[in-house]
Amino acid sequence: MRRRAFAALLALVLNVACNGGLEPIPVCAKGFVGICGTVTFQGTEPDSTQAVYIVAYHTFPHSRDSLFTFQPSLLLLQKLPLDSSAAFYAVSLPAGRYEWVVAVWVKQGFTLENADSTLRETGYYRDPADASQPGVVNVSAQTEGIDFVIDFGRMHRPCSYYTPPCP
Amino acid sequence: MQLLHAAVPLKRLLMLTSLAVAPIGAEAQQTAVVRGTVRDAATGQALEDARVGAQGSAHTVATDAAGRYTLTGIAAGQVVVRVQRFGYRAAADTLTLAPGDSVAADFALRPSALHMKPVVVTAGKRSQLLDQVVTSVALVQDSELARRAVNTVDEAVDKAPGVQFLNGQVNIRGSTGYVQGLGARVLLLVDGVPANQGDRGGINWDMLPVDQVERVEIVKGAGSALYGSAALGGVVNLITRDIPTGLHARVRTTGGYYANPPDTIWRFRDYIGAQEGLDVTGSYGGDAVRASLTAGGRHSDGYREQDRSDYWEVVGKGEWLPSATSHLHLIGSWASNQYQAPLLWCEHGQCDDRGQSYQPFMIDRSQAGAHTRSDKGLFAATLEHTVSPRESWLARGSWLRTDFTDFRSPTTDFGVANRYGAEMRGLVRPTAGRVVTVGAEGALSDVTSNIFHDHGQDEFAAYAESEQRLGSARMTAGARVDYIAVDGGGLSAVVSPRVGLVLPGAGGTLFWRVSAGRGFRAPSLAEQFVETALGPFTVAPNPSLGPETAWSLEVGNAAQFGTMVRTDAALFWTEASDLIEPTIQLTVDPATGATTQQIQFQNLQRARLAGLDVALYAFPFTPHLSTSLAYTLLYTREFAHDTVPAQPLAFRPRHLLTLAADYAWGGFNLGADFRYTSRFERVELYPPTDPQVAPKVLDLRAGYQRDALSVRLLVANALNYLYNLAPQTLAPVRTVTMTLTWTY
Repeated sequence: MRRRAFAALLALVLNVACNGGLEPIPVCAKGFVGICGTVTFQGTEPDSTQAVYIVAYHTFPHSRDSLFTFQPSLLLLQKLPLDSSAAFYAVSLPAGRYEWVVAVWVKQGFTLENADSTLRETGYYRDPADASQPGVVNVSAQTEGIDFVIDFGRMHRPCSYYTPPCP
Repeated sequence: MQLLHAAVPLKRLLMLTSLAVAPIGAEAQQTAVVRGTVRDAATGQALEDARVGAQGSAHTVATDAAGRYTLTGIAAGQVVVRVQRFGYRAAADTLTLAPGDSVAADFALRPSALHMKPVVVTAGKRSQLLDQVVTSVALVQDSELARRAVNTVDEAVDKAPGVQFLNGQVNIRGSTGYVQGLGARVLLLVDGVPANQGDRGGINWDMLPVDQVERVEIVKGAGSALYGSAALGGVVNLITRDIPTGLHARVRTTGGYYANPPDTIWRFRDYIGAQEGLDVTGSYGGDAVRASLTAGGRHSDGYREQDRSDYWEVVGKGEWLPSATSHLHLIGSWASNQYQAPLLWCEHGQCDDRGQSYQPFMIDRSQAGAHTRSDKGLFAATLEHTVSPRESWLARGSWLRTDFTDFRSPTTDFGVANRYGAEMRGLVRPTAGRVVTVGAEGALSDVTSNIFHDHGQDEFAAYAESEQRLGSARMTAGARVDYIAVDGGGLSAVVSPRVGLVLPGAGGTLFWRVSAGRGFRAPSLAEQFVETALGPFTVAPNPSLGPETAWSLEVGNAAQFGTMVRTDAALFWTEASDLIEPTIQLTVDPATGATTQQIQFQNLQRARLAGLDVALYAFPFTPHLSTSLAYTLLYTREFAHDTVPAQPLAFRPRHLLTLAADYAWGGFNLGADFRYTSRFERVELYPPTDPQVAPKVLDLRAGYQRDALSVRLLVANALNYLYNLAPQTLAPVRTVTMTLTWTY
């Protein structure tokens, strides 16, 4: 009888103790709405780097006026960690169609007024069928596998995508 | 001529009272020596730290690791020598000594957890049998410290019933919560000397190496009637080892490693983190002078990113016994700890999070490089004098210094605090059955800091408590008045009364205790004047912060059921007023409209802490197996005030359960501890997204002791259960430690 009680107590303790504890929670877990992926870094990060963000545009920005129409909002931007050769990212986005998912390099001293000279496109998600074109992303829930390269050696000013091109 | 006297174990159970031994027969002019060994009657194993007392000396000696003792300077004649050790029945022998004799008296003690009546010194500021104390007291004996193979003092205290540690902050029955080390509602004593920091009021648990601690007494409930401020929630007294007679050495070395994260996505290093430590003690105990010196250090790689630490300490003790009635006790300790500060764990976007919402083993990159240097020293001198069997007094002086520097971005914070204390205490037994304790204390504290600024605090107090025996009952009544002045300002007085009653039941196997008292805690200088930034918050000073007070009521019962089971239970109820807690305020700059979140320590209107504390000890199958169960049910409530609704106090668990079992056979020992803590009903200052689990921690241990050598293996958190108690702070993972102790 005593042995049974002892065994039952031991089983209860082990059962309780083996159950639970902190577990990994992927950002891109069920319920998350946005894009997730891995960016791979190439080139040398400039000393003047303030931050690198990943943003998405519903339509490709062809003018300076549409430069700040990206998602997520400025307040929700999260810096990419730059201390390794690759980084997983997850960006919360409203559901919808996005024509351009782009990494934006921000130079120290950035203001809205000097955006033309302190922002750079430093890589974007490419169409799997045609790597020369931006890939279109349809977000309805968690959208994974939006992987691309960030190349600090090949950065472009925003005006590179305007018409007329940069002066 | 030597007379060898082979003592036999005394089969009659003798009452365990004081170890002071009364002479039988006429006193002689010349002295004799009694020496011998103390062993376990069942296993024959030598018993270390058994206390042996004899005629002619007001002092006791402790046996060494081989169980040996030597009592010198005993007046010739007929003498009763008594031996006591926790966990064993006391034994005694009557010897007839001729002048110049050297008599051998060996003792074999029978294990007993059921008949032990340990003596405690903290609850009433005097020696008392545990079952005569009006409040709940938990004991952690040296045998338990050794068996658990813990490496720090807080690890030892953590397993006591009703006690919980929250990232280094001690909670007794939910007293403190978690306030980032600023203020503790528990008073730490080192051999009776107050040792809470002079600036923050917190506790440095690494002030003493665990190997120097003989036992820990934990007094639960308001202790302000004797100890004043900081003892609002209880008192923890670390009692250091006696210095044994003769020349001795002790070496304790530890080595171990930390488990890697169980999930590869949490891996943060490609090697196994290790820890190692070494303490060396040398001591000499003579008839009149005794001294010991301990030096040591340890290193840990930590179990998280940026968690390395190095620790060094020196502890010296001295005793001078100029006569049988006087005793000068000196202690000095200095410890230096340099540690990286892991601070909060990394959440998504703050580090290489690998797609995870949080990385509990990694830190926010903005905290990279943060580290702290913390030095602390305690020096105290205590003179005790026994005037007569009815009168004795004690005088004490102490100096506590703490010095920390936090190297963090963007600023480096520092603080240097001193606390100079003095106490005079008298103990009088005016009539049979009556004991009166009176005393006065003073303390001057100062702090120099960039975040607490430069301030000083003066404290003066007087106290008195009387115990009267009424038939088989004991009634206690007393009070303490404290005067406190900050920066030389006006004195504010706080009165803390306490009454208590101990009522034995029939047969001496049942004891009821009731106590009611008022406790208080003056705000620490840090709580009043801290001014810094904490993450997204600014921390603002509140110089008008007042003392917090509480009325506490406790009804307890200690009972013994046959020879198998012993219980101790207590219902406690605390009504607190002006409780000092951190509060968050949203402030708006009228000029810019910008909002900032500000933390400020404020006096809450009212709060309640109530619950049940139960401990059960049993030998269910065999005397070799000892088991225990401790459970605390805690109900806390902060009453509604202003716009704040009634809510639980933050960082208090509703349930706290500890199970322990130990099996001893010969020199071997196997044991386990299991601790369950329910989820906090409320946390504050941190985002509600912080994952929380109810910690369930299993520790396993094994040991072997043979004569002077012992080997202990501890697997703490054996199931590698990952949990956090403090927000965004991972609690220790599985840690395997081997401890070797050699005593000469």
